[in-house]
Amino acid sequence: MVLHVRRWLSEVWERLESLLTGEKPDESDLDLYVEVTLRAVVDAVVPETPELADELGPEHVPGGLAVGMEEFLVTFVDDLFQFGFPHVGTRGNLPLSAPLVEVLDAAADALVAHGDNEAEPDVERVVALLGPGDPPARRVRRVAGTFAKLSRRDRLRALGILDEFELRVAPFGHGLFEFDAGLVGQLVVGFAEMIYYSEWQGYDDFSLPPSERTHPNDPAAVQSWRQTGYPGVADGYAALRGYVGTDDSPLGAGDTWTDIDGRVSIVRESGSFRENDYDTTGYEEPYPE
Amino acid sequence: MVAAHYDVVVVGAGGDGPVAAWKLGEAGLSVLVLEAGPFYGNEQWPKPNEQPGAESSSSVDDLSGRLLDEQFTTRELEMIRKLVFGPADHERGFWLRKFPGDGAILQCAGVGGTTLHYTGCHPRAYPASIDEQPHWPVDYADLVPYYREIEAMCEVTPAPVTAKEELFFRGAAAAGWDLIDGLNVTEPGYRPQPNAIRQPDPRLHVDAGYDGDFTYPEVDGDTLALGSIAGHPFPRGAPYEEKAKRASNVSFVPAALRTGNVTVRPNAFVTSIETETAGNDHPEATGVRFRDTWSGRVESVDCEVLVLAAGAIETPRLWLNADLPKNEWVGRGMTIHFGDNVMGLWDAADLESSIGQDTVDQFQGQDIAARFDYPGLGMLQTVGTAPGIGAILGFGSSASGFAFENDPDDAPWDTLGRLAGSELKRLLSGYRRTLQVLVVSDDRPHRRNGVTVVPGVEDEHGPIPLVNYEPSTGDRQRRDRLAEIAAEILRAAGASHVHRSDSPPTALHVHSTMAMGKVVDEACEAYDVGRLFVADHSALANGVGGANPTNTGQALAARTADKIVERYFAG
Repeated sequence: MVLHVRRWLSEVWERLESLLTGEKPDESDLDLYVEVTLRAVVDAVVPETPELADELGPEHVPGGLAVGMEEFLVTFVDDLFQFGFPHVGTRGNLPLSAPLVEVLDAAADALVAHGDNEAEPDVERVVALLGPGDPPARRVRRVAGTFAKLSRRDRLRALGILDEFELRVAPFGHGLFEFDAGLVGQLVVGFAEMIYYSEWQGYDDFSLPPSERTHPNDPAAVQSWRQTGYPGVADGYAALRGYVGTDDSPLGAGDTWTDIDGRVSIVRESGSFRENDYDTTGYEEPYPE
Repeated sequence: MVAAHYDVVVVGAGGDGPVAAWKLGEAGLSVLVLEAGPFYGNEQWPKPNEQPGAESSSSVDDLSGRLLDEQFTTRELEMIRKLVFGPADHERGFWLRKFPGDGAILQCAGVGGTTLHYTGCHPRAYPASIDEQPHWPVDYADLVPYYREIEAMCEVTPAPVTAKEELFFRGAAAAGWDLIDGLNVTEPGYRPQPNAIRQPDPRLHVDAGYDGDFTYPEVDGDTLALGSIAGHPFPRGAPYEEKAKRASNVSFVPAALRTGNVTVRPNAFVTSIETETAGNDHPEATGVRFRDTWSGRVESVDCEVLVLAAGAIETPRLWLNADLPKNEWVGRGMTIHFGDNVMGLWDAADLESSIGQDTVDQFQGQDIAARFDYPGLGMLQTVGTAPGIGAILGFGSSASGFAFENDPDDAPWDTLGRLAGSELKRLLSGYRRTLQVLVVSDDRPHRRNGVTVVPGVEDEHGPIPLVNYEPSTGDRQRRDRLAEIAAEILRAAGASHVHRSDSPPTALHVHSTMAMGKVVDEACEAYDVGRLFVADHSALANGVGGANPTNTGQALAARTADKIVERYFAG
């Protein structure tokens, strides 16, 4: 595990160095490795689920790969944080996707080394995620790491390993830099879920400047909105039921719209909170430190 | 042009800085507010994420509701990308902070700060958290007049009830809790949120048959569409100051500009504090250096009094990166309201019999409009979200691993942990029949928790904040008890499935890193540096009991402004 993390850190450093010097490394295999691994991420986090067709309907079958989310995830992760190196100008985003997939493989190797995987790694799982127009299976087999070869469940288990993992090293030449591998889990689970269930798919091009982006705000353009029933953003709803009120409180008044428990009702008009006297002398700590 | 000297420089135009600027401007002092992020809704920056725009704004006439309408799309991914703490330039990523584990820090950059995506919730602190816990050097009674001043400015009123609030209130009442109707809360119970959001137009009542547009001037006040977390421009078409949510950019910034004495300079990241030491060895603040986030140019400005209001992470970071005296509590004692998420899923028929419709439709109504208070433990609040934010808050991370690895057995929840795969898709397919409850605990200040910096781990503004947080046993107990109460309320409201996230520490509310009584005195002036005041949530002596902190942070900032005038500008 430590060796893998060192490799990952040296990868970060190489990427930063290339950013500083403006060099472009040969990235074709690296790009494919990143894409294949993130494809496996998307397949585990928001998978295709034919088993939901009978239960919930056919619209619940496709997952993140059906909408090309892995490609967006690469861009999103690479643009998410900046480290603003002043000597390379005002930009300088931290390209995290390549080191991130190295960490995923480190976690996958650790899972397998501990024997905590439910199924053997199998490169054909990676090949099964290929579609028409993708690079040949031979190349994909060559670049695929352990993470992508795991079953869906085992990929999630591997992510779980990262939550507890912290390290201290010095990739910036002087001084210690502490980094949590938990950030990786946050990016590939939390952020991936947010992206998938957000409006993302509906943009013509999210990389355009914000003032030039267009979005149809229509579930027809967003697969996840069709799966959740979210109707899109709205300017308003005529959804007011009223205000909380009671006979002996200034909170609300007017006709009762509905009764809550015999004492508290939802009434037509709002009142206000009381500027009440307070006495804290009877306060007891429920859980003293 | 920004001048070379002001009576007061305020670092940060977030929730609290504009309050101090307004009060100081009213007192006739010249004030410069430096803000690291952009200024949305201002004619000086028509494309604030794409072009540097002008240098500063000093006139309320610059404010534009039309521009807010354009810039605040309420599309959740786009707005998170725009608002979360980072530079204005859309091509650059967030400013990096290091946080432990798979938690996160949610703060915004820009004029309005984190109130740009706060949900308008404006309760007071629990009196016992000030008067009975050992942290505060002042009394709750000292804050009450300032609460009144802030609540009037922010138009705080009881939040309206839509379907999701009615569902929660039914559950809370059925679980045996009482209604609270007071502003000063000393006993547990439920109540509508005291929200700094104008109440909706009465014509939006479900019985009123309204079928018009939800735009100004056809409707006035809130329009009951989700939007607070993802920017809140409602009602669309309204002038800047008629927007319903009274975030600090809508409430205090116009008031500050209207004094004629306040200038706001966005895109200006303060990187160091200038001091002079004359006569004795007690330094005094004399100004700051700041960096333009578009050009990279470094400038400086002098002042008689310096006010730090950069938030509970950046304020101590700035101190630690400046050449100031050591104080063992700078950056320490951080509280974050160590939180959790508990979610209920209902069967359609049960909803129909309970609230008269077969969906909850959490995207209707104000984002957070119902709450449960428990002084000594913290609070619960219902949260309406669009599905993406709901997924990351409720299911995206957990300290307990994935749900499929856990067997909650006889716990009050049916499932526990992070959700992914088919389990996630199945639960999200019921989005319209779900309601999340946010658990917000009264975590206590511990010196180990907070902000440090390490030379060498730097961005263009100096060493970045390294944030550490490890809750105590008591913090966990308070949170666990609140999560149980949340599950009981959801169950009593008829939920057929209850899920607990067991979220990792996530900093939605951040406070007490420059605490009154430890780093700053009772007027919020630093013990170790004269003429340097703190007027943001970092000066709060604890987490105010777990109640949403905006009201208390603003009340304290208003009080601090009065103290500044008394100490340095009276007569």
